[in-house]
Amino acid sequence: MSSSLDKLLENPRVWRGREQVGRQAGIATGYAELDKHLPGGGWPPDSLTEVLTTRYGIGELRLLMPALAQLSNEAPRQDFTEPGWIAWVAPPFQPYPPALQQCGIDLSRMLIVRPKEADEILWSAEQALSSGTCAAVLLWPDTLDDQGSRRLQLAAEKGRSWAVAFRPLAARRQPSAAALRLELQSNTQGMRVHILKSRGGRPAVIPKLL
Amino acid sequence: MKSRACRPPAMPRDAVPTAGAVQQALPLAEPAPPRTPLVTGASAARAERLWFCIWLPNLPLEASRTSDAPTAVVEDQHGIHRVLLADPEAQAAGVMPGQAANAALALLPVLQLEERSLPREQQALEQLATWAERFSSFVSIAGHDVLLLEIAGSLRLFGGLRALRQNIAKGLEGLGFRAMLAIAPTPLAATWLARSGQRACIRDAANLAPVLRKLPLACLDWPTALCEALGGMGVMTVGDCLRLPREGFTRRFGAERLLELDRALGHLPDPRTSWRAPECFCADYEMTEEQTDRELLLNICHELLLSHEQFLLARQLGTQRICFSFFHLKGAATELRLGCARAERTAHRWFELLGIRFEQLRLRDPVIAVRLRSGLAQPLQAETESLVFQGKPGSQLHRFSITQLAERLIARIGDQSVQAATMVAEHRPHYAWRSQSLLADWSSQTLDEPAQYLQRPLWMLPEPAPLPVDSGYPIHRGSRLRLVDGPERLETGWWDEDGISRDYYTALNPEGMRLWVFRNRTRAPDWYLHGYFG
Repeated sequence: MSSSLDKLLENPRVWRGREQVGRQAGIATGYAELDKHLPGGGWPPDSLTEVLTTRYGIGELRLLMPALAQLSNEAPRQDFTEPGWIAWVAPPFQPYPPALQQCGIDLSRMLIVRPKEADEILWSAEQALSSGTCAAVLLWPDTLDDQGSRRLQLAAEKGRSWAVAFRPLAARRQPSAAALRLELQSNTQGMRVHILKSRGGRPAVIPKLL
Repeated sequence: MKSRACRPPAMPRDAVPTAGAVQQALPLAEPAPPRTPLVTGASAARAERLWFCIWLPNLPLEASRTSDAPTAVVEDQHGIHRVLLADPEAQAAGVMPGQAANAALALLPVLQLEERSLPREQQALEQLATWAERFSSFVSIAGHDVLLLEIAGSLRLFGGLRALRQNIAKGLEGLGFRAMLAIAPTPLAATWLARSGQRACIRDAANLAPVLRKLPLACLDWPTALCEALGGMGVMTVGDCLRLPREGFTRRFGAERLLELDRALGHLPDPRTSWRAPECFCADYEMTEEQTDRELLLNICHELLLSHEQFLLARQLGTQRICFSFFHLKGAATELRLGCARAERTAHRWFELLGIRFEQLRLRDPVIAVRLRSGLAQPLQAETESLVFQGKPGSQLHRFSITQLAERLIARIGDQSVQAATMVAEHRPHYAWRSQSLLADWSSQTLDEPAQYLQRPLWMLPEPAPLPVDSGYPIHRGSRLRLVDGPERLETGWWDEDGISRDYYTALNPEGMRLWVFRNRTRAPDWYLHGYFG
């Protein structure tokens, strides 16, 4: 194949129909209303999900917990990749093990990585994703450009893992290769989930979840 | 005895057996032999032992000699460099121990002066100990210039005492060491006899005492002040010492000296520690000229790793740590250390880890040589891996792979930054879990049943953050918090320094964040933020 064609195909703006073929069932979110709006009826497996929030701690973890608990206890897949490790890369606070256990997460298969430098966050997440060991990799990158999100997406596909990147709302305007982008806003009534981008689905707003 | 970091583990070699415990129960005031039956039994067993002492009086000189030129070793004594030892050539020119370095240079301008280096001496002594292991299964380093070999078991193999002695003497001469040799049934006696300069050879314990009695105190390596004090009393020899009343001797000069005498005479056991040549790998690759090509350096590292693998394979060992040193023509070498979760020997695993780190390695200067050293070698635990189509959760395949991931992460971002977590049965929130290094003990014990807590927050702050208070209500980000759940009273930990007495609440702020806050009950009722329900 000519290199110019390769280059063209690398452009994230090029949409290829083949990627949609044989779409897998999603990872059930545990929230029926959210599942309804997501293609495959759940979180997109083997790809990158971006969660944009005003600040950390508004309920973004609770949103993921049912799916993470399910992954954490899952039996090995048919191709014998690893079952259920969950990696936390550069979390902003300490993920509290007793609470995680209450949510049904298997603590013996949890890995917390705290890189000291910004470029190591992406590298660590990429390693964890492509190792085929982790069912899910949660990361809190300082910055994530288009290229970085593409790298994460490719690593997730390679390792058949689910990547979740948590980012501030300001990242909304940046292009991203993520299969799913959510914007979360919370108030005293509950949490508003805005599906900004969903590969194979449609943008939608769920006014009140959780 | 200096302990060495690279001695193979799990080899307790506090050798000379016999009744070591008897020693402390010794009544000092009693006249010497015979003692309790236990001691008599022990000395009977010891009678079969024979110690060969190698004393190296010129070790400082021999260890630091760098050229054939006349050499002298100097030592800093009260701010003045004085000659400690001089080789025969220098002595012929009039250079004497105790001379100032300048005076020695004036006598012999071509004199090579070397600063005394204890580490170098220790190294030389250890090399000699390794060499001496061919004569005995038990070699011990005593002090900074003495080697002790237990040779009772080696006599037959080497064709008798005389042949063995000649063999060792010839070997030492070949290595360029001047040594004083002595043989005696106890290690201390052998040492003292060697120091006295006699070519003593005592096989029978019964003959030991008469010979020792004649030894001057100067051979004992006792502090000069002590020898002078004894000399002032007219006590010049070991025999004079033994004639003194034991009680008074102990009072004046300490029990340790008396114990030493007893050990030398064989009345007390004298256990020694065996020295073992470390099972370490160390190999260099030297280049004819300086190189900067990183590809080439990686290839060299790979070659070293292959020979490292061969070394470990032959011994059925593995290692958890290795260290590459890249030497430059000037300045200190650049070091690169790698660690592994399990003892590992295969070159390709190490090479993979090296690849990750090598990318980041900054080499200041071109490299002239590469050295690979490996850390503690340990028995390799081969694990049976299941066939791929039998993969089950918790199988080897599963563990192996996460270990590899952890190793890769640790290789790049450090041991402390990659952790697992386990639960601890404890009600205080900050003690209810603990992080665990992944390279240490892997087996994480999770409590089977989830503890019976009320809802806990997913995010914890590293330390509780004090909250401002407005008319009794806590404030978060400028607005009053609404308490929606609680209180949960935690009052525990009175048994240690860190007891708590707190009322925990779930609070809601106007942004919709659920916070875990508490109020201290012991001190002034301060409010703190401890976590987010996330």
